[in-house]
Order: sequence, then C-alpha cells, then structure tokens
Amino acid sequence: MRLFGIETEYGIARQDLDHMDPVVESMELVRAYLTAAFERAWDYSGEDPHQDARGFRVPGLQQDQEELEFAKTDAHRPFSFYDMKSDLVLPNGARFYNDHTHPEYSTPECRNLRDLVAHDRAGERVVQRAADRRNRALGGPRVTLYKNNTDFHGHSYGCHDNYLVARSIPFPALVKGLLPFLVSRQLVAGAGKVGIESQEAGVRPGTFQLSQRADFMETELSVDTMHNRPILNTRDEPHADPTRYRRLHLIVGDANMSEYATALKVGTTRLVLDLIAREAAPDLELEHPVTAIKVFSRDPDLKTVVRRKSGKSISGLELQTAYYLAAEKALSGMEEETDWILGEWGQTLTDLEQDRGRLVGRLDWVTKLWLLETFMEAERLAWSDPWVASLDLEYHNVDPERGLFLGLEAEGKTTRLTTDAEVEAALETGPSDTRGGLRGLCVRRFREQIASVQWERVQFRGWVKTKALDLGDLFEPTAVQALRQVLESAATPDDALQAWNAINKETLI
Amino acid sequence: MKVPIMIERRERPFDPVPKPGPSEEGGGPTRPETGSPDKDNLLKRMRKVDPKQAERYRQRTGQ
Repeated sequence: MRLFGIETEYGIARQDLDHMDPVVESMELVRAYLTAAFERAWDYSGEDPHQDARGFRVPGLQQDQEELEFAKTDAHRPFSFYDMKSDLVLPNGARFYNDHTHPEYSTPECRNLRDLVAHDRAGERVVQRAADRRNRALGGPRVTLYKNNTDFHGHSYGCHDNYLVARSIPFPALVKGLLPFLVSRQLVAGAGKVGIESQEAGVRPGTFQLSQRADFMETELSVDTMHNRPILNTRDEPHADPTRYRRLHLIVGDANMSEYATALKVGTTRLVLDLIAREAAPDLELEHPVTAIKVFSRDPDLKTVVRRKSGKSISGLELQTAYYLAAEKALSGMEEETDWILGEWGQTLTDLEQDRGRLVGRLDWVTKLWLLETFMEAERLAWSDPWVASLDLEYHNVDPERGLFLGLEAEGKTTRLTTDAEVEAALETGPSDTRGGLRGLCVRRFREQIASVQWERVQFRGWVKTKALDLGDLFEPTAVQALRQVLESAATPDDALQAWNAINKETLI
Repeated sequence: MKVPIMIERRERPFDPVPKPGPSEEGGGPTRPETGSPDKDNLLKRMRKVDPKQAERYRQRTGQ
C-alpha cells in the first residue's frame, strides 16, 4: 500500500489590468482548457474539512467568516458556486479546478516518484495550455501563471503533498515522528523566497530565505488551512475507507519547479512515514517547532540551531541527517526506489554541508539563490531592490518562454527525472497501477455515461438510479490491474460493473 | 549534538533518468554545468523582467 499525490494552487495575474477579478480569471482559465461546454461532474460529497484527525469535529474553520464575506460578494455574480469551481476531471485522472481563486491541479494518485514527477509536470503544461488558449481569446499575452506560494504581500496559497497512511498508525505517533522532519524538510525542498512576510500583513524586504511557506506556519497542529496554518494539518478526509486509511494532508511544503526537489520532498517524506510505521523514527522532538521552521528558513548558511525537548540543541542539517541515517539503517536494500531516495538524500545533505553550489539545478532554493546572486552582481543590486523580488516571482513563471527556472532547464542546467515524452504521456493517461489511472480510463472510455466523479467513486448514469464504481479500497496493484482489464474490455459501464462485481476480490490480494 | 555529515555517495541501483540513447552519454541524473560562463541567455531573460511586477502582484489567500 503506497500512494501519494500533489495538489498545486497556482498564482494567476493579468498583465493588462490594474485590478483583476480573481474569481472570474481563475474560472475562465480553467474553462479555457475545455474543448467543449462545461458540465458539472465533480461530486463534493466526499469532502469534509471539519473532521479532525485527533478524534473530533470542529464546528467551524478560521477561514469561514472570510469565505462568508466572499460568498456574499460572489452571490451577485451571474454564475453558481459549481460554475465558479468549474471542476474538471481530466483523461489522466487528475482534477483541475478553481480553488479559492487559484487554478489548482491535483495529480492522479501515484505509486512511484517517477510517475508523480511526470504528473506534477503535466500539471504545469495543463495550466500553461489553458493560459495560452485564454490569451488567444483575449488577443495577447495577458494572463500569467506562477507555480509558487506567495504574492509577497502576506497572501499564501498552497502546494499540498498527500500520502495514504494506515489508520492503525496512531495519530500521535505521526505527529511525534513527522514534526521535526517537516520543520527541516525545507533544506531539501524549499523553493526559496526574497523577503519575510506574515499572514496578510505585508513584507519586509532585504533577505533571502529557504522556504516560501515557513512564514505562514503559525501553529504545530490544526485542521485549518487558510489561517492559523499548521506544520502538520489534522484534516481527516481520507478519500478512502476511513476504517483502514488516513490521508496525510501536508500543507507545509513549497511548490517546486525542480523535478529533483519534488522527488526528494515526497520521497523523503515517504521514507519517514515508513520509519514511523516501523516505530523506527528518531526521537528528536523540538521545544518550539513553529519558531524552528522560521529560523531555519531564514538562515541559508544552515548554521542556526534550535532547542530540543531533551534540552540539547540541533541544526536543520543535523535533523535531516538523523532522519536520513535512521532510514538508511532501517530501509536500505529493500527496493530500488527506496535506495534511490536514500542515495540522493544522503548526497544532498553532504553537498549542503560541503559545497551547495553542486546543488544548483537540483534544489530550488539553491538554484534561485544562485540566479539572483548572479544577477545582483551583474546589475549591482541589493536584496532590498524590488527587482530582486520580481525575479523571484519570475523564477516560478510556467511560461517556458519567460520562466527563469524553465529557462535554466531549457539550457540543460537542471536535473530532470522525466523526459518531455513522459510528461506528454502523463497528460493523456494516468498511472497504470493506481485508481487515479482507472478514473482517467473511465473518463476516456465512458465520458458520456459518467454522472459524477470523486476521488473514491465514479457514478454512472443510465438507470433510474446511478450505479457506483467504488474505488475507496482499491490500492492493491493486482486489483487495480484486474479492474483496468475489465474497463478496457467492457463495451459499456454496465458491462464493466457486472464483470467487476462477478470477480472474487479476495483472489486479487 | 553534532551529527557527522560525511555521507558516502551510494551506488544508484535505481536510475530515475531514462536510459541514454546510443548518441547520449551517462546513465544517472545529470549534474548541470552551472560553472559554465554561458549565462548570457539567462541574464538576458532576467533583464526583461519588469522590476515592479512583484510590487503589483496581488492574490487572495489560498490554502
């Protein structure tokens, strides 16, 4: 049982307007990807952001009042809530929609890093193709999209990494094992940022930090995601059989441009989850994790230490190294992908210690810092110069003709884990070994018969009541493969459902 | 606590980078030539960036 995915909210800007309407722009952007009229298909019944993994349900979220205010404003618009969301389910099993005025691409569920990186990159192409079409309709290059997490004025939007976790692992064990790791994960996966922000309270220029999101972490644990953001989100929304699974929904991470950083972000987290499941995670609890994530982010020299609950002090690099060594001891030699993660993680930590220049083109924050310093030296700029923050923003532009990271990539100065052909293939089909791929297969084969879709279910029409294809406990590769064969060979959804229901599922495990 | 950071680079049994074709070299992730003096294209691209674009950039809070 291994499954992960990434949700990315993109920043969106109109170059020709002083004040754009973010609701309309995000909605129109998503719809520009369509080649036919929008039809509502997403089923929201599986979503419950108020359920907390600590075993209770919160009556409200801190964002509710703000959302209510926006809803009042949006109520006067000539379209419904569902029109505004414009939820699309793509032929690769991904979800593409307008989430809180940000175009969001959620990858289909993946079982291996290579698929995940390809689908994350496919998301960049989806949003850029939508922007290209939108710009053609607008008559010029007006809409720009950024794969980042801040507007440099105190407004952040997320890139969430998600992991299927056994419900049998006690949530407190996840908290204890993950918090010190997540506080220091930015050394590997930070996207870099110019300036220091706080929630909706402006920016202090003049410095460079590792992470885009660290400034916005305000508490250790919370079910909230838009205010009072936690290092470890406690939303209990498994999108799977709730008696057997959790979905670990991490909102602390940055959106990565680098494929290598994306792979290490998710790969190292996956290994730490494996350690926690084996009760082999190091005991490194910190006294003040929220402070620690900020001070680590604001120290590109990686010298700062924070206090552990034990009273000893520890640096971010030492934290990462302790997790690496535990993973090396417990997990090495078991499978190819695990060994690849271990090898690259270890080398990255060594390079961070000895010569971080070797990580240009691999880690985003190192690459961005190198680009900015190169430019600042050439143009004699200070960190406080507004141009530097503008270059930071442009690093994340997903237009290959403009984006700084993509320019570096085009010159062969970044480490790629995919080929263009693999990314193009990921636009068309989902992973062959997950329910995400099956969702995409349903969309490709039976689009006209689909009544609704969500992560764990596809509903087909054609009867008095719709019939459901339940994917809530479909994670074993043999079962996925069996259902794939059924869906590929069936002439209709009815044939597929009958054939699938006739199979003894116990034989597939 | 001082954890030694001298970690030996392991052999990569798993190569996430596609196998090279007959005309290509290497087998693992390629380490970019960042020391190359060929920064002109990038600097040119960076000079085209509107110095004020970050000041104008505004988003609503997301998740």
